[in-house]
Amino acid sequence: MPATVWAQQATASLNGVVMAPDGETLPGVNVVLKELNKGTTTNIEGEFELSAVPEGLYSLLISCIGFKSHEQAVQLKAGQTLKLSLLLKEESYLINDVVVSGKSATRRIIEQAYQVASVSTKELFNSTADAKAVMNRIPGVRIQEEGGLGSDFSFTLNGFSGDQVKFFMDGIPMDNFGAMKLGDMPVNMIERIDVYKGVVPVWLGTDALGGAVNIVTNRKEKYLDASYSFRSFNTHRASVNGAYTNNKTGFTVRGNLFYNYSDNNYKVWARIVENNTVVDTAWVRRFHDRYRSASVKLESGYINKPFADNLLVGVMLSTNDKQVQHGATMNTVYGGIMRNSKSLVPTMKYNKKNLLTDGLDVSLFSAFNLSESQVIDTLSGVRYNWLGEKTILTSGDGQPSTDGEFYRTFTTLDEQELSSQLNLSYAISTKSSLALNYAFNHFHRKAFDTEHPDDVDNRFPKSLRKQVLGLALKFDPDRRWSTTVFGKMYHIKAKTSKEFDFALETQRIEEVLNTQLNFGYGLASTWFVVPELQLKLSYEHTSRMPTPEEIFGDGLFVGANPDLGPEQSHNFNLGAEYRFKLNNTHQFALGGSFIYRDAKDLIYTVVTVSSPKTYYDNLSKTRVMGFEGNFIYRWHEIAHVGANVTFQDITDRAKLVYNESYTGTGWQQNFHYGFRLPNKPYLFANFNAGLNFADITCPGSSLSFNYYLNFVEQYFLTWAELGSGNSKYVIPRQVSHDVELSYSWKKGKYNISGECSNLFDAKLYDKYYLQKPGRAFSIKLRYTI
Amino acid sequence: MKQLFKLRFLILILLFAGMSQVIISCSDEETGEDEYVGEDAFVLSLAYQGTDGNFTYYTVQFDDVMNGSLSAIGKGIDHLGYYTFNQVDNKIYATGGFELTDIIAMKKNTAGELEESGGVSSFSNSLNDVIKGEDGSLVAIEMSNSSDVVSLHRINPETVSVQDSKTTAVSNLTDLTGPSYSGMVQAGNYLFVSFYISDPATFATGYTDKAQLAVFTYPGLEFVKVIEDDRTGPIGGFGTSSGLIKDNSGNVYALSHSNPANGYSQFTKEAAILKINSGETTFDQSYLFDFNSVTGGKTTAHLVYLEGNKVFAEINMQDRSEQGAWSDSPLKPAILDLQAQTVKYIDDVPEHSGLGRKLAATSLYDNGYVYLVVPEDINSYVYRINTKDYSATKGAVVEANFTAGFFKL
Repeated sequence: MPATVWAQQATASLNGVVMAPDGETLPGVNVVLKELNKGTTTNIEGEFELSAVPEGLYSLLISCIGFKSHEQAVQLKAGQTLKLSLLLKEESYLINDVVVSGKSATRRIIEQAYQVASVSTKELFNSTADAKAVMNRIPGVRIQEEGGLGSDFSFTLNGFSGDQVKFFMDGIPMDNFGAMKLGDMPVNMIERIDVYKGVVPVWLGTDALGGAVNIVTNRKEKYLDASYSFRSFNTHRASVNGAYTNNKTGFTVRGNLFYNYSDNNYKVWARIVENNTVVDTAWVRRFHDRYRSASVKLESGYINKPFADNLLVGVMLSTNDKQVQHGATMNTVYGGIMRNSKSLVPTMKYNKKNLLTDGLDVSLFSAFNLSESQVIDTLSGVRYNWLGEKTILTSGDGQPSTDGEFYRTFTTLDEQELSSQLNLSYAISTKSSLALNYAFNHFHRKAFDTEHPDDVDNRFPKSLRKQVLGLALKFDPDRRWSTTVFGKMYHIKAKTSKEFDFALETQRIEEVLNTQLNFGYGLASTWFVVPELQLKLSYEHTSRMPTPEEIFGDGLFVGANPDLGPEQSHNFNLGAEYRFKLNNTHQFALGGSFIYRDAKDLIYTVVTVSSPKTYYDNLSKTRVMGFEGNFIYRWHEIAHVGANVTFQDITDRAKLVYNESYTGTGWQQNFHYGFRLPNKPYLFANFNAGLNFADITCPGSSLSFNYYLNFVEQYFLTWAELGSGNSKYVIPRQVSHDVELSYSWKKGKYNISGECSNLFDAKLYDKYYLQKPGRAFSIKLRYTI
Repeated sequence: MKQLFKLRFLILILLFAGMSQVIISCSDEETGEDEYVGEDAFVLSLAYQGTDGNFTYYTVQFDDVMNGSLSAIGKGIDHLGYYTFNQVDNKIYATGGFELTDIIAMKKNTAGELEESGGVSSFSNSLNDVIKGEDGSLVAIEMSNSSDVVSLHRINPETVSVQDSKTTAVSNLTDLTGPSYSGMVQAGNYLFVSFYISDPATFATGYTDKAQLAVFTYPGLEFVKVIEDDRTGPIGGFGTSSGLIKDNSGNVYALSHSNPANGYSQFTKEAAILKINSGETTFDQSYLFDFNSVTGGKTTAHLVYLEGNKVFAEINMQDRSEQGAWSDSPLKPAILDLQAQTVKYIDDVPEHSGLGRKLAATSLYDNGYVYLVVPEDINSYVYRINTKDYSATKGAVVEANFTAGFFKL
């Protein structure tokens, strides 16, 4: 491996490049000559150089979090320049907030300088966690769930939530992935999850306001991973993931299949109503909350061919159905409302490095999503209480009412969406490169309600076409410094129906077009002050265009607002990461970042007068000032502890508000100017600790024990500054503990694990007192080759 | 003095809630052991609209509403969600909530602080209105324009729990879709409920050629009949619950406006007030308050009975053909005389936007004065209107999005 080159110095020097097994270069790797205690860190391209080294025999130690440390002897002679090419093997590691190292450093605009948290799921493959649960342990991330498996949730990143944060799977937008939801995806189909905070790289081609999440699925060429888990509340989750590649022909097939089922019949503390009177408050089992989902994702094509590095066509089939137990609070209980959806998504992926000319990389993704979803509320005059008892609403003459439980409906939404992403990158020189992204998205929705066939809102199909164009320039003035500047252009064209001249004789409904153009720009820079200390700074002025749901509504609870404009924000991050090792036995990583967000025209749900129906509008300004800190300590490969904490002060910055009640009194002073926004957690933390014993019973076996703690400080559902402090609108401080024990043998071929989540059976809520499951046990069996 | 004041106050608040009664037994209202015996204070239910889209209401006591500023910072009983407030006797009833269909009572404890009780009743839908029955019960109604039933409840004001309920098919009231609640009074042996037809999906009002009222027995709550009159259009409108008022002789008055500013997509009849004489269940054909001749074409969607023949109204100063849809503006306060058929505008109060809510709850008639919160530009102010000389004084600034209740306890 070493190749020697003669030079005319009295001392020797040593340089080289460090790569991962897949050939991608690794930045930020520590390279140390142990005897001299002299070292450096690899640059963005994975290169390092040590000069003025006295002649001698040394132990060269290469280490990086996430990879197995490597030590080798090097003999240096005076005047010699030794060139090394080094390989680091990936190491299974636990939830860390580590720098992503996935992208080819020399070829593409990489996200290195971005504020990004990347979580490898490898250590979690034996756990029953899903994509959602993994992300909930990342600093700055809060997932507010409404209940058990399959329940709705909101993902919050530094205070931004909903469509302000965009999701991708392998770079393909998941906006309208129809039936496949984050909570459905087992960890076994995921390789890692990257969370970009505030500043989003151009290559994702999106209009996120607060950041983006990219879920990277397993890209191994040959493997099989099958698992089944059983959990309390009659919850079953099964998944089969695998890939086969013929090394000679390059033909490859890969697939993921999973199935989830749960009755979600956990106990909740609820009030019992009989004959319009609250007769009791009691622990009762949920009785109408079954959730089922299944997905198949298949891809096939060729890899590593002269015409393509990857050429894959695939299809994704997903379906789910969900019983709806209650609305936005537990005050109303339903026993018949159902939701379901199914989707078919053909996909195509192509990428090639050095296409036509050296340094030109091309990738193209396309997906066409066909989905159908239904909301069904067709029971006649039925009212349920929390005991599951039903009464029929009848009039004085004994005739049953035909009212639905919430609103009588059988609405079918037919949606089609075409998403395409083209990425071109060109290495201008070893120090600079250029990247261009073009993303195209066309969405079309048709709704029909058999119970209200004349509903004007459904009369016209609705469509949205979105295009995002991004250009980025990356330059690395020296080995320790890398900077990317970028600009983005967003364009949407929405078509919908609108009512004109209401209340006049000329009242009519016409199709309307909504076209909007917006620009964004930003910069991301990173600097290695010393090999162990990395600084990151990033800024983006970003816009988030309204989504179809925000413009057009969801057909049940959410009304339309064709005048809705984009949300805009200035996002700023400043972060530092310090990593070091002591005696090769103690590994430390310590990181912290300051975040600042100044957002305006934020799209908020507006409650219309005396109706549970809502719509969206550009209402407000908010500011987020926050801090995130994380710490990891690892002793050999045996023990580790990690912790992270997030504090985010999200305040209302609008001096005036528009009173959107139907009377329209216009602009008013905002009486909560400067107050912290209610219903958003502002202080939360995670802690984990684990032990791992290898070869405990026989060679190739391992036993591991993990403990997780999740803490959320109490927060208010209403403005804390107003009123005399009523405890009924406070979500109390929440602490939950999860433990898991897993054993694997035959080098991970056979695995069995047991888990207990919410160990102390704490009452947990995220939203409006919607109770989450209490203590639950699960067991998971997993087989891999 | 206190006793006299209390009696007068009781009468006033009863009148105010649009449900005066001829015979008030003072002894019924005698203070119990846990009653507050100090001075009465103003109580305002202040609404704040959150950026997350939800309303929160804070019911706060104020000694003085004519000076300084009124806000809920650091004080008040909070209620999250959409609420309506009504005062009956010495309690304020809050109905609604974020997916709640409860009724909550607030009253002063012996220390003079507001405290909550109730929350023990839960209905199929939010209650549209709560009024006082002449027998001392509360009468509440659930009437949604997307439902095919109307439910009436008698509620015990002491325990705030349901005494009895009756449900009537909407098909008894009309063959049309979308009868919408607009007002309710109880007089003698009857309960009168006014409604208008509004499409549940579009809110379009395609039927504006006649006035309609449903008559129920009281206290039986049994449906009796629908009475109609084609001299004017439908009674009441969206959200204002002002379709029906009762004077202190037991006569019932029904208001028709068909205002585009209050949710009408068309109007086909002149605005008017009709009368049902005490004890009757038919419209008095000899009585018609003709807005055209009294106000020169102006109309009102808001009516609160004061005393004698006087009622307080917020007149929409635009002709119906010029009104902005759902705007409930521009409004000017006025005192109408139902007998003399006159209108006296309160010129000291500027034209302003309305709330589209029940004026009987959002204003207070106390000691010859009407208190009302009026939005001007970006701030709102209390105005105290002298009902004798029709003058008004500007008072405190109200630091809330709007005032959902103006009471005195």
